[in-house]
Amino acid sequence: MEQPACASADSDNKPTGMTRLPSTPIINQDLRRRIVDLVTHGKGGHIPSAFSIVDIIATLYGQVLRFNPERPRDENRDYFILSKGHGCAALYAVLHRHGFLSGAQMENYLGFDGILGGHPDRTKVPGAEASTGSLGHGLPFSLGIALGLKVRKRCNKVVTLVGDGECHEGTVWESALVAQNLGLGNLCCIVDYNGSAAQILPHPDIAAQWRAFGWQVREVDGHDPAAIADAVKPFMAAGNDGAPTAIVAHTVKGRGVSFMESHGPWHHRIPNLEEYAAIMKELE
Amino acid sequence: MADVMRDTFARTMHEVGVADPDLLVLVGDISHFALQPFAQACPGRFYNVGILEPTIVSMSAGLASLGLHTVTHTIAPFLIERSLEQIKLDFCYQGIGGTLITVGSAFDYATLGCSHHCYDDISLLRGLPNTEIVYPASPVEFTRLFADTYRNGRLTYFRLPKETHGVDFAEADIVLGKGLRVRPGSDVTLAACGPQLRTALAAADRLAARGIAAEVLYFPTLKPFDGELLAASVARTRRLVCIEEHVEFGGLGDVALRAARHVAGLKSDFLFIPDAFQRGYGTYEEHCRALGFTPENLAARAAALCADTAGESA
Repeated sequence: MEQPACASADSDNKPTGMTRLPSTPIINQDLRRRIVDLVTHGKGGHIPSAFSIVDIIATLYGQVLRFNPERPRDENRDYFILSKGHGCAALYAVLHRHGFLSGAQMENYLGFDGILGGHPDRTKVPGAEASTGSLGHGLPFSLGIALGLKVRKRCNKVVTLVGDGECHEGTVWESALVAQNLGLGNLCCIVDYNGSAAQILPHPDIAAQWRAFGWQVREVDGHDPAAIADAVKPFMAAGNDGAPTAIVAHTVKGRGVSFMESHGPWHHRIPNLEEYAAIMKELE
Repeated sequence: MADVMRDTFARTMHEVGVADPDLLVLVGDISHFALQPFAQACPGRFYNVGILEPTIVSMSAGLASLGLHTVTHTIAPFLIERSLEQIKLDFCYQGIGGTLITVGSAFDYATLGCSHHCYDDISLLRGLPNTEIVYPASPVEFTRLFADTYRNGRLTYFRLPKETHGVDFAEADIVLGKGLRVRPGSDVTLAACGPQLRTALAAADRLAARGIAAEVLYFPTLKPFDGELLAASVARTRRLVCIEEHVEFGGLGDVALRAARHVAGLKSDFLFIPDAFQRGYGTYEEHCRALGFTPENLAARAAALCADTAGESA
């Protein structure tokens, strides 16, 4: 068995060899513009879904996770799994900001020979820890990573982001039960609670559901970087045993552009020239 | 009743697990008593996860993504049919290796009906890239092929039958992707997988009594498939009968016929599970008889090919 890595893990949460690029509301507006450019020029993608989670992902990489863009599979890294893979434009924008992805790779988004598709691909994208797209896979896959890290006596953390609609999938709750029973204190699941589920099959009280499965639950404004960081940091500082952590992040689908917000026709729509201009004006 | 293949599996996990600290076994609430020697000898590496097969598969893939060697085990319909998308996306597409081991394929759980039968598993997994499919029906086949595959970076499916075929192979003869010529012959090729090798050998005896020399081939690996062995045999015999406990689509018959496609004048016949659910209960043997998986029927089908010489001189 390998040497326990806790001692060598970066205790003050600085990424190995990197200067942090913090997540702030102003900076995240820039990420939103990047997302719009990606989807518009690539002619595909889910802008409102990405806007719903971009503040969360930017904060994780900006304030919380340990990573090394020069060595994306660095053994001391923390793991971030975007289970709701259709929001990947937000992940790509953040990975680009932190140096995992080049400008040329971003420009080839959705290109036949590009590495950035409509869902993240672990075999192609530096920094992507799982190939997702079909909902309900990311959390059980993350559960395996979290268990494996404990088997190997390592102290890396695992953070998974799922959608509230994705929480219809049975595997989410199967995994919730298993993670609690295995005492995976090194696993955190963030729920992008933007009301998608409520359009179809509402969760009466999603925080209570996670609590009922034995998880530690926090609720947070999913568009407030400081609040997100504060919610995640206790998990990062805790040991690897005990209850896993669920963070219900209250978000707005399409957050940042007034006419994209909520659950209208923009889910998978590509802006035309006029719409592009209007979006960019709101994101100034 | 002895469960030779399951016992061999459990014993092998213990032996390999003691030597390899990266071996983990995850089960869906079956075989946990048989696997106790492994569990006791390898603390923290045995998980009776629960009755949630798709999650066990995804979880196994996550574990394996760290370089651990996972063995995921439960009943065939739940591990293969129910969890197919997890196998496809979380193991195969991501190029993550691991081992899936089932019991209860075909109609091994004869009395339990459709929910516990599984006769399309080989077909389902053959269609997924990065898979290997092994169907061992004697202990040495399992021990040899598990040792050769469990850390080779691909997803290997072991279909463990309840019955064995009763032939003792030398370990050196068991090679991934290689078939075995169990009995030489020149008039007709009988190709078998799984416990039906026993049927094929008994049929060959009956054919010999009628002056027909049947060559018996056995395929412990369905993917990769030893097409060369099959093609070389039927190039001589020009007659082929396949027998398998699997539906007609995507199993031994399909892959054998593809391997033999260049053999001119080939006459072929196939014994398989027809395109209908098996609704009977009873015993494994009764299912075999109902499906014609008997030495008498196989010999008769082979003899019919040998008797039908129409067009051979053309």
